Amino acid sequence: MRKSNRSSSLRVRLMLGAAVTVLLFILALFPALRQVFTTALEESIEQRLAADASALISAAQIIDGQLHMPAKLPDEEFDLLPARQLGFIYNDQGVLLWRSRNLSNVVINYKPKYDGYGHDFLRTKGVDGREFFVYDVEVDLLRGQRAAFSIVTMQPVSDYKTMYDSLRRQLYIWLGFALLLLLGFLWLGLGWGIRSLRSLSAELDDVEEGRRDSLSDDHPRELLRLTRSLNRLLESERQQSERYRHSLDDLAHSLKTPLAVLQGVGEVLSTQADNAEQARTLQGQVNRMSQQISYQLQRASLRKSGLLRYQVKLKPLLGSLLEALDKVYRDKQVKVTQAFAAELRVPVEQGALLELMGNILENAYRLCLGKVRISARLSKTDCELIIEDDGPGVPTHQRDRILKRGERLDTQYPGQGIGTAVVKDIIDSYNGQLFVEESELGGAQFRILFPLN
Amino acid sequence: MKVLVVEDEALLRHHLLTRLGEDGHVVDAVADAEEALYRVAEYNHDLAIVDLGLPGMSGLELIRTLREQGKHFPILILTARGNWQDKVEGLAAGADDYVVKPFQFEELEARLNALLRRSSGFVQSTIEAGPLSLDLNRKQAFLNDVPLALTAYEYRILEYLMRHHQQVVSKDRLIEQLYPDDEERDPNVIEVLVGRLRRKLEGDAGFKPIETVRGQGYLFVEACR
Repeated sequence: MRKSNRSSSLRVRLMLGAAVTVLLFILALFPALRQVFTTALEESIEQRLAADASALISAAQIIDGQLHMPAKLPDEEFDLLPARQLGFIYNDQGVLLWRSRNLSNVVINYKPKYDGYGHDFLRTKGVDGREFFVYDVEVDLLRGQRAAFSIVTMQPVSDYKTMYDSLRRQLYIWLGFALLLLLGFLWLGLGWGIRSLRSLSAELDDVEEGRRDSLSDDHPRELLRLTRSLNRLLESERQQSERYRHSLDDLAHSLKTPLAVLQGVGEVLSTQADNAEQARTLQGQVNRMSQQISYQLQRASLRKSGLLRYQVKLKPLLGSLLEALDKVYRDKQVKVTQAFAAELRVPVEQGALLELMGNILENAYRLCLGKVRISARLSKTDCELIIEDDGPGVPTHQRDRILKRGERLDTQYPGQGIGTAVVKDIIDSYNGQLFVEESELGGAQFRILFPLN
Repeated sequence: MKVLVVEDEALLRHHLLTRLGEDGHVVDAVADAEEALYRVAEYNHDLAIVDLGLPGMSGLELIRTLREQGKHFPILILTARGNWQDKVEGLAAGADDYVVKPFQFEELEARLNALLRRSSGFVQSTIEAGPLSLDLNRKQAFLNDVPLALTAYEYRILEYLMRHHQQVVSKDRLIEQLYPDDEERDPNVIEVLVGRLRRKLEGDAGFKPIETVRGQGYLFVEACR
């Protein structure tokens, strides 16, 4: 769960946050809206019932203290079926004196309590379970004389319910539509806001792949501090690695040249019978020092950059390397086949990849009969490089030894036995794997796997 | 062969000068690229050994300049770091091979001889022309498989003429093969040496491969392989 949170994009996160906020807001708004709507509706019903009551009051006549209602009321609604508008008149004792004509089949147990003033608006249930709004107004029609009545008008709740449901449906539809529209605008707005992060990410890709040296200043103010710091870091790393390389060059030159002199002295001494023994010791030690220096210098120069993730195109790099090797081994006329996509990139720094391929390919050129094959392919998880030749191959018992530090299988040329050890070091520093196997061509096969991040 | 050595470390330069001299080469040993360019303009070299880590103008720039000037002699680079970046750059700049310091002289010698053979178009370590054959490793000439008794100078002249067979070679060029500097530049010496060489080659069989081109120099007329 935590992992999926970490990997989800900023845009999706912001979107989820915004969507949840909007949804909560609308959910909170909904009861309030419903309340306002209900109140307004009930008020209008109350007014309507009050008007009905007024119509009844104005139609009523008191003759000799007795209530007389005309046979035909001015408001026909009281006569129409089905009964939507009901009227009752009670005396102050709660005795029903009159009821509207459409009420013949409706039984309502409503008993007004006469207290002499005011009016009530409430709900009541009929015997059959139907619910009604009730408006109950108390009047004294003969000002002071005893002619007090409760005028009660009613309307079934079901009419109101239909209207309420339809309005609530409308409300749902409109609010849902508004929610979708809002989320849509939010998505677009977030995309626009995050576009600058995308362009920064694209520039970083370019820097990592060596298409540009630094990040541009075309970013929003909030990001500029970050991009400028990154640029300073990149520049300082570049300068440092440059200085480092120069120091290593100087160190190599200042250590190896005196060793070359000592090597020469040893050779001269070895021709003199008296000094042959000492000369051999001297040469042996010179060889050892030389190998150690070469190995440590190469290791030091191939440190991996922490800031950049490299993607080096294999084809041009191999092109210059094979041209160099073809020149050195011109007499041998080695036939090299390359089997990989022209655009294939290897996740290793340029210098390290050159050393890696140089060391393996030189061995292949030196030991092959005439054929070398280089293949490479990318899978979802790793990049595989295979270098094969048709030479004698590496005997099984020497395959492990070939990969150990400073170990060398042939001693033809001093200072070059560190090749495979450097190869192993480079592969290790990129968390890769090296396999020494037998090739179909008959010779050695070096298979390398680099994990893709 | 006339070999140019460009190495800033005096002891190593001296070592190369001595060992290559013992091998029968005439060695021009200098400490920096500027001096090397001057020597190349003055003399005709057959090969150059260039250290990549020179003070001032680098070995790499020197190689580029030499190739830009149209010099075609083989160049062997000496590299201290021995990394592929240096080797690839050096070879791309125009060098033909490399040796990593410190090196055994035998290794340098083997690579140097391979380059010389290759530059004159001979892949094998022997050059043959009719009854005459030259073992480049042992520096010995044979006539009808019988070893010829040649002095070191006579051998050098013969090897040079055979490497440049069917081309006119000037006396000056031959002098450069014999002496490191301008001193003792006497064309008469060459005439005397060539005369002695002709007599030894002619022997009983009458083999006459060296002709004189009046006013220009000598020509080895037999095809060599």
